[in-house]
Amino acid sequence: MSALSGVGSRRSKLVFAGSVYLGLIAMTAVFLFPLLWVIGLSLKTRLQVFAVPPLFIWRPTLENYAGVLGQADFLQAFVNSLVVSSGAVLLSLCVGVPAAYAFARFPFRGGSFLFFSLLIMRMLPPIAVLVPMYILFSKLGLTTTRFSVVLAYSTFSLPLVVWIMRGFFEDLPRELEESAWVDGASRSAAFRHVVLPLIRPGLVAASILCLQLAWNDFLFSAVLTNNATRTLPVLMAAFSGGDTGTDWGGMTASGVLVILPVLIFSFAAQRHLVAGLSSGAVKG
Amino acid sequence: MAQLKRRTLLQATAGVLAAPQIRAQSKPEKLVYVGDNGPWHYVMVEEVAPAFEKATGIKIDFTLLPVDPWRARLRAELGSGSSGIDVAQFSISMTGWMAPHMEDHTPLLAQIKAKDPSFDWNDYLAGPQKAATYDGKLCGLPYRITTGIFHYQRALLEKAGFAKPPENWEQFLKIAQAVNTPPDRYAYGLMGMQAAGMYPSFVSWLYSNGGRTIDFKTGEIFINDAKAVEALQFYGDLITKYKLVPPEAMTWQFEEIVAGGQRDRYAMVQMFAPYGTLINDPKISTTGGKWAWTTVPGPHNKDEGRTWIDGHTLGVPKYTKNKEWALEFIAMCCSHDWQKKAMVRGNAPPLRSVLNDPEMVERIGWPPVGAEALETGIPTPGHPVWDTLEVQMRSAIAQVQAGQKTAKVALDELATDWQRSLRRAGVGRG
Amino acid sequence: MGGTTTAVRSTGVGAMRGSGYGTAGAQRWIDRQFAHLAVLPTTALMLLIFGIPLLFSLYLSFQGWSPEQALFAGNFAGTANYQDLLTDPQFLKSLSVTFLYTALTVTTELACGLGIALLLNIDLPWIGLFRTALVVPMMITPIVAALCWKLLLDPDHGVVNYWIGSHIVWLGRPDTALISVMVVNLWQNAPYVAVLLLAGLRSLPSEPVEAASIDGASRWQVFWHITLPLLRPYILVALLLRTIFEFRAFDNIYVMTSGGPANATMTLSMFTYLASFVRFDLSLGAAASWLMLVMCLLLCLFFIAVIRRRDAN
Repeated sequence: MSALSGVGSRRSKLVFAGSVYLGLIAMTAVFLFPLLWVIGLSLKTRLQVFAVPPLFIWRPTLENYAGVLGQADFLQAFVNSLVVSSGAVLLSLCVGVPAAYAFARFPFRGGSFLFFSLLIMRMLPPIAVLVPMYILFSKLGLTTTRFSVVLAYSTFSLPLVVWIMRGFFEDLPRELEESAWVDGASRSAAFRHVVLPLIRPGLVAASILCLQLAWNDFLFSAVLTNNATRTLPVLMAAFSGGDTGTDWGGMTASGVLVILPVLIFSFAAQRHLVAGLSSGAVKG
Repeated sequence: MAQLKRRTLLQATAGVLAAPQIRAQSKPEKLVYVGDNGPWHYVMVEEVAPAFEKATGIKIDFTLLPVDPWRARLRAELGSGSSGIDVAQFSISMTGWMAPHMEDHTPLLAQIKAKDPSFDWNDYLAGPQKAATYDGKLCGLPYRITTGIFHYQRALLEKAGFAKPPENWEQFLKIAQAVNTPPDRYAYGLMGMQAAGMYPSFVSWLYSNGGRTIDFKTGEIFINDAKAVEALQFYGDLITKYKLVPPEAMTWQFEEIVAGGQRDRYAMVQMFAPYGTLINDPKISTTGGKWAWTTVPGPHNKDEGRTWIDGHTLGVPKYTKNKEWALEFIAMCCSHDWQKKAMVRGNAPPLRSVLNDPEMVERIGWPPVGAEALETGIPTPGHPVWDTLEVQMRSAIAQVQAGQKTAKVALDELATDWQRSLRRAGVGRG
Repeated sequence: MGGTTTAVRSTGVGAMRGSGYGTAGAQRWIDRQFAHLAVLPTTALMLLIFGIPLLFSLYLSFQGWSPEQALFAGNFAGTANYQDLLTDPQFLKSLSVTFLYTALTVTTELACGLGIALLLNIDLPWIGLFRTALVVPMMITPIVAALCWKLLLDPDHGVVNYWIGSHIVWLGRPDTALISVMVVNLWQNAPYVAVLLLAGLRSLPSEPVEAASIDGASRWQVFWHITLPLLRPYILVALLLRTIFEFRAFDNIYVMTSGGPANATMTLSMFTYLASFVRFDLSLGAAASWLMLVMCLLLCLFFIAVIRRRDAN
């Protein structure tokens, strides 16, 4: 849906484009400023962090990054975060997307009830299930493993995935699948080869949201892991220590390092988001 | 099938025959330590643990978590009887619900003494000894002790014409109003955030005035009696009526009150004794070298001053398979020499000899005042229902601080809340 | 989206039966059971990992509290926990705080998110850069973001006060604390809404818009009469998801104010957290969580009903 075609004269188009860019730049400035501030903090010493008036120009230091990366735990926690998050995203997508497809296309007895139960589960604050979940995992012998965290995160994202993807599936015109079925394809084959490629923007959106949930969770990871399996947010909490307080430089440096992979993923992913849609396959 | 049976039988026999040797040999590869992440573990982690590993070959696996996950972890793991924790570190308010899961350490004291003759239980201050005990059971060895003392910038008081720090509340008010120079510097700092710091900030005023919280045996509530109301009203007036407190103190917890002292936001404060080291260090504080210490003032005279005691205990849980080794590590951490080293790097040990050690006094300054306060201080209650009472108390204090309610109204409502909580917990007559 | 389920039943599944497709009998069986098989893993996972703790939590909410003993050794206490909650002034206050907070935050998030999505939907050169940039806030670990904002809002050396030239203690005053937390949440989550609505916008068919522009409709008319109604299902998804999330928003409040000052930001989730993890009154925490669930459910049903009625009109 390119809003530049069709409406209005060339001049009004330029004015429109200009104001759009202006709006975007303003918004980006507002939304990115805190991130830039975080990056700035990570390059300041403790005294510089608390300077009055706030320092916008200063001599940057890399000591915080050196400190964070120098910790042997950091790499381990980073790997754990990667494993746990990608595991949770993959599990949620593999399990949730077919379910969403089924809910959208093949209603069955009890289907609505099941769908809404999933949603209702989402409404419970996760802290309510933390301790019972811990007990369950300890009975299953899964405490301190990364698998337990993957399972926990998957239960948070699954209802989200199912719900969002169902919307996308319902919007998809059924002619494509029906023609595939008529041609002799099985349901699952049609799903895999015809439907899935069309639904890419939805998949991307869902995976971004799942990733965000899994990558940034703190409380569940803190309780379910030990030193060897802990994820980055838990490691980072060590920087905000009780009595003498937050090591702002260390916290922000690790914060920046933590969001880098996710940023890279979303940059790569958003290109697919656009590509999948502007291909025109959906409009047919 | 028959083959399998025979094999397992053989194995079992071999196991039984070898049992005594196995027990003697069963040295664990590591000991799991679960504690909080306060910045006073340096010596324990960086020096004691390696020394222990060198002597015994056992590594210490430290799991240091922020407050809430640490408590949740201990609750969940010990509550389910898991043997995954070898050394438990818990604070005094946790003693009540930790007690059923911990070994009785009184007989273990003799064991420690047998291995290390220099160990002296009587060197431990009375307050901490009491605090580590619940219902007559000693649940561990006190490792860190914290208490609230009065910190003040000597030069500022002298400039205003006061040679000595305040000994009673009237003097305190007079001095405060004299040194109060808003907005650059205020007279008094406190932890005003509605969180864990509220209790230590307020309660020394309560106790000094003769106020009490509750009697856990009978369930009788004292928090809204005349003395308590007077104390809270006085405390709240410092903020709302006399405006002696920096406005941003309403967002202060532990790190912020220290930062406030380092940035010269207040002239006087009642807070953790060890924080004195942090605000007096010229390397990190603009007020470095300017502080002096005394015990908190009483309402009429100095002797009435009472403060709170908190701290951390190291103990061996009942369920661990490595009791002896765990005890040995704990004993090592708590020994006189290691505690002295720890004190230099941020700990506050409950040992009379260390706190009064002339070298420590010279170097750090506040330890004797801390020791004095600890002899008469009142430990944070260890009863499991205390956590609830404390959270509800924060709400009352916060409302008085914000000027929304008078102390009388707030505390009367608090008493009702406490009655409900005590009834829920089945304490006393409810 | 929704409302066409009966139509599907008569055309989709019915039409397939007896069409003689597929090769092996197994394949046919899989196809017949496709819906059930597709849904099975989800159901199993949720029931096992979430459902059991969930039901346990419900069971807990009817148990009494025994603070010293093992975790779950209280006696059956009927509705005592619920009664205790509804007579607790702090709980009641947290109800009003939560509803106010949710209403304001969700409204502003939807409005901002829609605005951002509309801008990002335009195919200008380098729009990809902006798309990535505006997704960034929601990727930042909430704890880091909240701590960063805490510094930004610092009364004496925060950038916000520096720019507007004041010394307001944003997080220390009951009147400004809630708004401050809301702004931080808005900052972090408007991009979330934008992602959802952008995906929705890009899935919309282009014929109606093209037809309308050819007919001479202005941009605003196209938006209001065509785009917005078509987008309604996605807006509903966003509305429901954000409501569910903001109703139990926790991270920012935990880091920035811990529920204060003077209960100004004591939302239900903060109250429940304090009950479960600080007071360790797990049965009270369970009861509070279930009350939250019921309230959230009612709220969502209300939204669905309102929007369905508007759809029907």
